[in-house]
Amino acid sequence: MKIECRNVSKAYGRGQGRFWALRDATLTVAKGTHLAIVGPSGSGKSTLLHLLGCLDVPTEGEVLLDGVSRASLSDRQVSLVRRARMGFVFQQYYLNEAMTALQNVLLPLELGRVADRRKKAIAALSWVGLESKLGSLPGEMSGGEQQRVAIARAVAHEPELVFADEPTGNLDSENGNKALEVLQALHDERGTGLVLVTHDDRVAARAMQTLRVRDGRLT
Amino acid sequence: MWIVFTNARKRKARLVMTVAGIAIGVATLFALLASSAGIQRGLEREIGGLGAHILLLPVGCPYTLTLALMQGADTLDYIPQDRLTDVRAAHNVRLAVPVVVGRVRVDDEMTPIYGTTDEILQLKRWGIAHLDGAVVGSDVASRLGLTAGSRITLSFYAQHEVDVIRILPRTGGRDDTFVFVPLEVAQNVLALTDELSAVLVQTENVERVAQTRQTLGRLANLQAVPPSEVFDMLVGLFGSMASTLMLITGVAIVVGVLTTMNTMTMAVYERKAEIGLLRAVGATRGDVFRLFVVESLWVSLVAGVLGVGVGYVVTQLLPRTTGFGLAAAPHFSPSYIGICLLVAAGVGTVAAVYPALMAARMEPIKALRAL
Repeated sequence: MKIECRNVSKAYGRGQGRFWALRDATLTVAKGTHLAIVGPSGSGKSTLLHLLGCLDVPTEGEVLLDGVSRASLSDRQVSLVRRARMGFVFQQYYLNEAMTALQNVLLPLELGRVADRRKKAIAALSWVGLESKLGSLPGEMSGGEQQRVAIARAVAHEPELVFADEPTGNLDSENGNKALEVLQALHDERGTGLVLVTHDDRVAARAMQTLRVRDGRLT
Repeated sequence: MWIVFTNARKRKARLVMTVAGIAIGVATLFALLASSAGIQRGLEREIGGLGAHILLLPVGCPYTLTLALMQGADTLDYIPQDRLTDVRAAHNVRLAVPVVVGRVRVDDEMTPIYGTTDEILQLKRWGIAHLDGAVVGSDVASRLGLTAGSRITLSFYAQHEVDVIRILPRTGGRDDTFVFVPLEVAQNVLALTDELSAVLVQTENVERVAQTRQTLGRLANLQAVPPSEVFDMLVGLFGSMASTLMLITGVAIVVGVLTTMNTMTMAVYERKAEIGLLRAVGATRGDVFRLFVVESLWVSLVAGVLGVGVGYVVTQLLPRTTGFGLAAAPHFSPSYIGICLLVAAGVGTVAAVYPALMAARMEPIKALRAL
């Protein structure tokens, strides 16, 4: 799967208060990509990630999914692409507090009615080293463990592209490294495309490709 | 499906309040359905139990008089007993049973008595050949500790001793509350010489009841009423009471809808991040919509079941008689449970539509940023 951004811009607000978070960005990510998007906070790097992940729509320019314009696809079609072929990891994990680790990982698989979903969810949790925490609630786990549950949730359906927005932002360096290793292995072992947003240079250093964003522009 | 249940578990207190809100409406509905059916059946049994094709009553409001007759209350106006000869002579009259009712002391306790003749035995199956003593309803018998062979004293304007010849099996109707005695005994104790509270008429040919009613109605100092007419009127009376109550129930249900809608709307705002995450991992707008509707549906069904239970208990606690002294045990039909659960499900679905639409319309990234 390949996602292309062609001269995309994103503005928030209207009229006088209009603010361009991203200007004229062109880039392509695909299976096998390992890209780190770096820049100071507020530079527009998360906006870029959201546009790539089809979580948001550009104000100007075009996003192409395997050559097809995103604008020509229905919300449902885009949702189904996200469900089957993309994975997301967020800085705040966004785990459901009322669900166990296993249930959290099962959630997207359940939506897609994926075959053998329980087996796949358990495999994903084992892969991130949490096979002993299947029945734990997020509140009973450390931040590092919670982020690994979130990673397991993002990869259980074996997506072609994983988008991670500051995955280590809330973690100490030891836990951060663990999370990064898991993501790195995903790329190395499965060839999953990896797009990371970070302001941490150590994270960027591991990536094959680095893209800097400053004041909404790629540099 | 488990996704729904995990979510509902998160906010227990509010869940309980929402469930209570719907359950109250459903309980009211259930109690109303069961008790109106009970009243209708009670009326049917009582008026049917008179066993008469035509009821001859003193001049006055026929409904009040019928109810008085069923309760054993004083009718205040009376039919002169000599009318009975004319009634019996009328065409198509097979049987005319004179009746006197009133309240007297039976062993020092005020009890309705029913004075009549042996002819009553053609209308009621009491298993005796002659009414030559007191036939006692089961409630009176157990209250006064009477058995066949006991001797009771009736007193009011006069005093009279009577032997109990039979205790009636329980009917669940008004007969349970009466003491039936020979006509002259009742007339004597109530000081109603040559006067009757009513006459129960059976016709030879039921198809000609209308003509017979007209003939009898022309006799002086009485009116002829078919029991079915009284029944229809009383059912109509209770029906209009029931409609008023139904309106109140409707209000309770609307309040239930609004409470649920409010809860669901709040839930949507609170769960913005969760909705955003769901959308990010590929939930379509339809998935999000369904999730909220199904959640609300489950909550309201649980409330519905609870409401039926509460309604059942409340109905059991309600007095078993109406203001008119009519026995009206609530009547339960499985269809009422069905109606109540359907109403509850309707409440849940209707209440969820707007909040669920709101949730489905959220842009994934805006929802995620909400935190």
